[in-house]
Amino acid sequence: MHKGFSFNRVYKLIKRDLVLLRGALTTSVLVAVVLLFLFSIFNMIWDQQLSTSEFFGIFGIFYIPLGLLFTFALFREFNDSKKNHMYLILPVSIPERLFAKWLTSTLIYTFVFSVIAVLVGMFAMIVGIIVFGADFTPISLVSVSYWDLLKTYFLVQPVFLVGAITFKRNRVGKTILSLGVLVLCFALLHFILYALFNYSLGVFETDGLGSVAFDKAGSDFSSLGKWFYVILLGPVMLAVAYFKMTEKEV
Amino acid sequence: MLSIKKLHFAYSNSPAVLSNINLNFSTGNIYGLFGKNGEGKSTLLKLMAGLLFPMTGSCNLHGEPTKKRQPHILKDVFLVPEDFELPSLRIGQFEKINSSFYPSFSKTQFYDLLEEFGLSPSNTISKLSFGQKKKVLIAFGIATNTPLLLMDEPTNGLDIPSKSQFRKVMASAVDQGKCIVISTHQVRDLHSLINHVVILDDSKVCMDLPLETISENLWFGMTPKKNLEDVIYTESTLGGRAILARGERDETEIDLELLFNGVIEAGVKITESINSETHA
Repeated sequence: MHKGFSFNRVYKLIKRDLVLLRGALTTSVLVAVVLLFLFSIFNMIWDQQLSTSEFFGIFGIFYIPLGLLFTFALFREFNDSKKNHMYLILPVSIPERLFAKWLTSTLIYTFVFSVIAVLVGMFAMIVGIIVFGADFTPISLVSVSYWDLLKTYFLVQPVFLVGAITFKRNRVGKTILSLGVLVLCFALLHFILYALFNYSLGVFETDGLGSVAFDKAGSDFSSLGKWFYVILLGPVMLAVAYFKMTEKEV
Repeated sequence: MLSIKKLHFAYSNSPAVLSNINLNFSTGNIYGLFGKNGEGKSTLLKLMAGLLFPMTGSCNLHGEPTKKRQPHILKDVFLVPEDFELPSLRIGQFEKINSSFYPSFSKTQFYDLLEEFGLSPSNTISKLSFGQKKKVLIAFGIATNTPLLLMDEPTNGLDIPSKSQFRKVMASAVDQGKCIVISTHQVRDLHSLINHVVILDDSKVCMDLPLETISENLWFGMTPKKNLEDVIYTESTLGGRAILARGERDETEIDLELLFNGVIEAGVKITESINSETHA
């Protein structure tokens, strides 16, 4: 048996997960398809058009929550004490397990859901053209609004992945609660940093804190902060997920 | 094949379940792992499968710790747990999604065993009884052909005909390249199946012997009317069964239930008797 990282085992794990979740996936996607179609149709009633940004606004309502719920569903077996022996005893390494789960819940999910959503959007537009005489606006996956959604999902998803691994019960609620606490802590940290760096500039003595601070700031650390959060939410969370999976016992 | 050295394990905020466990399991044997309820049989099997991690000590398969869950180690282990749930799939689908991970898996063997157990690949697992689900997992475990097969209370939930069916299936499954460890507190279910006994009591191993050694040194039968000093352990029930030092007596069939009770009640006397007989 191949001792290193094996893509063949990753492929088998992905296939296994998809077969196990086939029923739930089909139902969820069908519900999303129907809602996506209805929302698109309702959108066209008012102005007889479905612009790309409008469509991806509707797409985002389903894409992110459904993806996060899918992430939790993928780890249901992992945290079920009556089922997880079968998964944990499979001859697959931890990096392969994590990669399979991440790949399924990000790239594969995004690709499949985007293709389905675009097809549904096009169909809704055809219906709109026939019924309301709506304008034809081609839906393109190279639009900025689509990629912004993807960026948001790819950054938030690892946090929910860690939540799905860590919590055994009320996993969604506990993850959102933890994330809320984390956001509050970071907001507080930002306020403290803001006060520390801007106090000497006298921005607290005026009314418009932010705008005055930006005007008076000598250095811009926003790109540094952006990278801090990208690294924290992406690779660091995946590393945490790896260690959580390594430590997992039945 | 699998060696356990100075293993210690406790669940959080609980007293030790296993303490200073030293065991070696080798191929070509079917081990019977016995112990009272809560003595750590299931825990030991989970530690052997790498599903739990020892607090101290080691559990190595082919010299590598099972807790690392390396694919080249896990491909050689399969565990049939006592309590489990299987996904709501047809048996055939269940086999397809799981068998590809085990290089020595035999589809023919799996479907033959299913037939033996009176199940069909088209049966949906969620609609089966617990005993039937157990049969699916037992058949799958045997068909993986892993050198180490661990079974935790495999006969729990099986009806009387299924228990003899299980014995028949297990007897045909064993070969020189396999090591099978069966844990149970229903010792009679493993009658004529095992060739090595491991008994756990009070978090420790209190017997680890091949049946051959036991039958060479101990005699099982009705309590004698005279020479009561030869009796190591006796039970008043069922006309009085007893364990005696074999000495010059004819070889008897090992009464596993009597042996188990004897080891729990008079373990030191039995061990001393076996040691003295072996040295004599």
